[in-house]
Amino acid sequence: MDLKLKSYPAPSDYFGVLWGLSGVEDLLVLEHGSTGTCSYNVVNYMIMNKQSPKGKLFSCGMDEDDVVMGRDDKLKRAVEELDQTFHPKIIALVATAVTSVIGLDLGGIIEEIQARTDAKLLSFASGGFAGDYTLGIKEVFRKLAMEVAEEPKERKPFSVNVIGPAIDSFNNVSDLAELRRLLSLLGADINTVFTCHTSVGEIESMASASLNLVTRDAGLGAAQILEDRFGIPYVYGLPFGVKGTVEWLKEVGERLDLYLGRGTLASELERYGFSILELTTPLQRCDHLRAVISCPYDYALGLTKFMQKEWGINPSLVVLPNIPDDPKFREEFNRLGLFDVLIEPDTTTLEEAMARIDPHIIFGNSYDLHIAKNVPIRVHAAFPAFDYIYRFDGTPFVGFRGHAYLTQTFVNLLNQNPEVFRN
Amino acid sequence: MKLDDISLEGKCLRLSEVVEDVALPKTADAQYPGSHCAFRTVAGILPLIKNSYGLLLGPAICLYNAKLTVNIRSLTSDPRPNNLLFLTYSQDDIIFGFHKKVREAILEVDRKYHPEVLFLVTTCLQEIIGEDFDASVEEIQRMVKARLLVIHTDNFTCEDAAPGIENVFLSLSELMEPQETVEGSINLLGFWTSKAKTTELARLLGSEGIKIKNAIPSYCSPEDLSRAPGVSLNIALDHFALKLAKKMKEMFGTEYIYCERPYHPDSIELWYQKIADASGIDLDLKVADLKRETEELISQAKGSFSGKSCALFGQPGRTLDMAFLLSELGIELKAIMLHRLLSDDYRDAQKLLAEGIDPLVFRGDNALQTEKLLSTLRPDICIGCRDYGVLARQGIEPCMLIPSHFKLGFEATNEILNLMRQEPAGFWALRYKEQLLNNGAV
Repeated sequence: MDLKLKSYPAPSDYFGVLWGLSGVEDLLVLEHGSTGTCSYNVVNYMIMNKQSPKGKLFSCGMDEDDVVMGRDDKLKRAVEELDQTFHPKIIALVATAVTSVIGLDLGGIIEEIQARTDAKLLSFASGGFAGDYTLGIKEVFRKLAMEVAEEPKERKPFSVNVIGPAIDSFNNVSDLAELRRLLSLLGADINTVFTCHTSVGEIESMASASLNLVTRDAGLGAAQILEDRFGIPYVYGLPFGVKGTVEWLKEVGERLDLYLGRGTLASELERYGFSILELTTPLQRCDHLRAVISCPYDYALGLTKFMQKEWGINPSLVVLPNIPDDPKFREEFNRLGLFDVLIEPDTTTLEEAMARIDPHIIFGNSYDLHIAKNVPIRVHAAFPAFDYIYRFDGTPFVGFRGHAYLTQTFVNLLNQNPEVFRN
Repeated sequence: MKLDDISLEGKCLRLSEVVEDVALPKTADAQYPGSHCAFRTVAGILPLIKNSYGLLLGPAICLYNAKLTVNIRSLTSDPRPNNLLFLTYSQDDIIFGFHKKVREAILEVDRKYHPEVLFLVTTCLQEIIGEDFDASVEEIQRMVKARLLVIHTDNFTCEDAAPGIENVFLSLSELMEPQETVEGSINLLGFWTSKAKTTELARLLGSEGIKIKNAIPSYCSPEDLSRAPGVSLNIALDHFALKLAKKMKEMFGTEYIYCERPYHPDSIELWYQKIADASGIDLDLKVADLKRETEELISQAKGSFSGKSCALFGQPGRTLDMAFLLSELGIELKAIMLHRLLSDDYRDAQKLLAEGIDPLVFRGDNALQTEKLLSTLRPDICIGCRDYGVLARQGIEPCMLIPSHFKLGFEATNEILNLMRQEPAGFWALRYKEQLLNNGAV
């Protein structure tokens, strides 16, 4: 039994719902629960770049009478207040664990009050019992793609939606800035980012884009819905490393009928394409270094390829926080020669694996890095990151600049820990 | 979201209109963030008990945030030991029961971590389902070495965290045993730091041969707690600890006095007098010296603060006595953020009203409404508000008094006077940025 002394209780789908909705302007979230639940959430937003949900997340302040009598009048009053005070386009009613247990029917309440409410009401009723947070993110993405996105008036030929980044996505500020920059090199622009810094209006008109770029597996369901409803194709994957970025640009460009000019690519490579060989000496060999990558699937796969191609390091172990949506995920890693893949291991299993591998390098979340406190090269690369801020937009992991940033950071860490070259 | 859309009508009372021990009117039906829950506070207290673990039992909604809270605290000047363990409630547990899992977890914790005490903390969920934890714990107790203590923290039955905190204090009485009274020793109940023995109170008492034995709950071991009734006096410093003081009197005959933390020099003098009388010592001369120093500092500070206005957020102890201190400095009190008026608050309220000071009182647990109030009142200073962005935008000086919370008596007030002169590091830059933005820089 893993009682999570050194790790953390997995955030439930309830958190995924909050995080998936938090970047949508003109949308307010109203929890059915006691104020303590809402108040406590200030904590989890703090670890995501200290982003406050003030003016976004509300509680109806359920009390004992509501629980015993199954009353819903506080919720209805709170909906009315939000609707009339702030005039949002959407109010999302989110269940907490207590809602689920007392069996309050949020869908039924919406049927009753929708007609007298200006905002569109959506319900998220699982109350945190459906599974981990990625399920909540997927539910938000699917519901917005299905119930909010509208038939477009026109299709913008060089416009794309980025589907996947939400407030919980590690390094989203820098990665998004780099994706935007890469697309501009092609001559494309971002219609909306689903659901980071977007709005109800942008989601309503997201089907005017010509292509969806899915940056994490949790976005695949929504991309499929948008393809089915509006015929928008999608490309899935993140551009890691020089080779990965060139290939990503090529694929995206072909879908949009846009091509990267040779001069542009040359300029990018000159500025950001420096190889690790150019930054180290012959006595600083890296190919013997053992590495562990503990990140969500898309980052884990991207970083594995990146380390192999760009740094000549074959990661020994990949740790995933949940089972990826891609049913062939193991084959993907196996094809790269990586057979040691752990999924949501308990602390003991992870500690045993770390002791067995004795890595020089780990990419992971704050808890992984604490468990691996004797590993010399430790890089924050995943959520939760309670002791790490990634608010500045100049530290991407993806794209050409991501290649440059990661390689430079890695070499600096090597230089701070030269013993890794000796054992 | 526009602040202008929020109405404050009917949500602000004058101090003279507030009734004792009744929660102030809610400022909104849709609240953000609303009051803390007991579970959150209890999860923050348990790491203070040495040689103990807390097994938190609940849905991931509560547990994930509890874990992050400990982690974030670990990065501060006042970290708490990592002694919290987590057992997550699933849908199946609701249907089929949680007892078996809890039992296995308790056995494992006992075997693996060997705690002297294991706190079992429930959330709203168990209370709603109605699982009888106390009965099953009695049964498991026979199988483990750790002393098991159940803490109930149902949030939906109360408007704040007080019942859960009181439950923690009361549970500690179960670790206590009858003792021979050691004259000249006291416990401080409700002092939340490890620094009790370096406070001014400790120094003054020590000079008269009185020793602070424990500051409960701060870094007491179960053994310390078992011997805690052997003091000649308990001093309950906050209302959360009062129930424990009463319980110890009832169970062990330990005498107690209840004296919440004061701020005004006259109140501190009386506070020391009460403690000295109960301890059978005379502190008058020493207290008079300290009081003179503080009054001198107040007199010097008047020049900086006189004529300014302020909004005051709830402070540990007697918030309204701090309001009195602020008025002594010549500061006009525009609003005080409180949840409810307790009995000591009521006496302090009468003192303020007698001086013609009748500020607005406002329930400060909803950030948007608080921001609206600040924007309406535009005080010069805001004491205790952490929303620096809002203060910078509105041109209000922030004042954060947390370092003074680790002190008692005149030294706490001296520290407050010192902190009130200091702008938090980085605030100048934040205000500069907000001013540029206000002027349309972007």
